[in-house]
Amino acid sequence: MNETELIEAAKAGDRNALGRLIKQYEQTVYNFAFKICRDREKAENTMQETFLSMVKSLHQFDGNSKLSTWLYRIVSNHCLMQARYSNKYQFVDVETEDSLFDDRYLSDSSKIPWKEFENNELRAILDKAISKLAPDYRVVFLLRDVEQLSTEETAEATNLSVAAVKSRLHRARAFLRNELEKEMSK
Amino acid sequence: MDVTVTCKDVMSHICDSLGEELQSPKCIAIRSHMDSCDCCKNYFDSVEKTIGFYRDYKIVMPEEAHDRLMKYLDMCDCDPVGQE
Ligand SMILES: [Zn+2]
Repeated sequence: MNETELIEAAKAGDRNALGRLIKQYEQTVYNFAFKICRDREKAENTMQETFLSMVKSLHQFDGNSKLSTWLYRIVSNHCLMQARYSNKYQFVDVETEDSLFDDRYLSDSSKIPWKEFENNELRAILDKAISKLAPDYRVVFLLRDVEQLSTEETAEATNLSVAAVKSRLHRARAFLRNELEKEMSK
Repeated sequence: MDVTVTCKDVMSHICDSLGEELQSPKCIAIRSHMDSCDCCKNYFDSVEKTIGFYRDYKIVMPEEAHDRLMKYLDMCDCDPVGQE
């Protein structure tokens, strides 16, 4: 059975088909959830909630978008909601930060020292930088640049306009780039 | 079409190989600016590299997480793992 057939079978109540769909997407969903929340326990919890939503509402899936985009949307919504509840974190407000595109990042002296980092060290730097980014910017960056969805699919998964996706993407990229420069220059 | 771009435009509107429509006048102007501006080229490369780091950062789901998921969904009876 191909994916469309699996979805149709699962909608008609075939639990084995449903099981195979879940198996097919669990790693993708887990990975994406981890990238947003940077925490294994939260990622697993999000994955469980995501597939529970999928089981409950697969009958509403109309096939106009890809199943993966549909799942990304559920993960994004879940993570964003969680982030709003736990508002204890202070995120950098990249919306108002004009210095994001400051000329100083263009000077020759401002090259990132891309030295060889230990894997753990590099991961710590990447985790720290992305954690400072407000969750809704993080989600756009991850969907578009890391998972490589199209701008339209990203807009669909986040309920944002295409223009809003683009402007968030530019700011998120600039912010992360500048953070890596700061951290790697230390 | 005559579009002038500054370094700042390039920074705040990186497109091209990063996936935006290649044909827009703005993107064409940005590309030709970058061809002759080393600073912007460096900047562009560093953004691409940043994205590359995040793409390479992969996490493997532990096997037990699959079992816990099937249990959570009450679907252990139709778990495709081990049925083959
Ligand atoms: Zn320039």
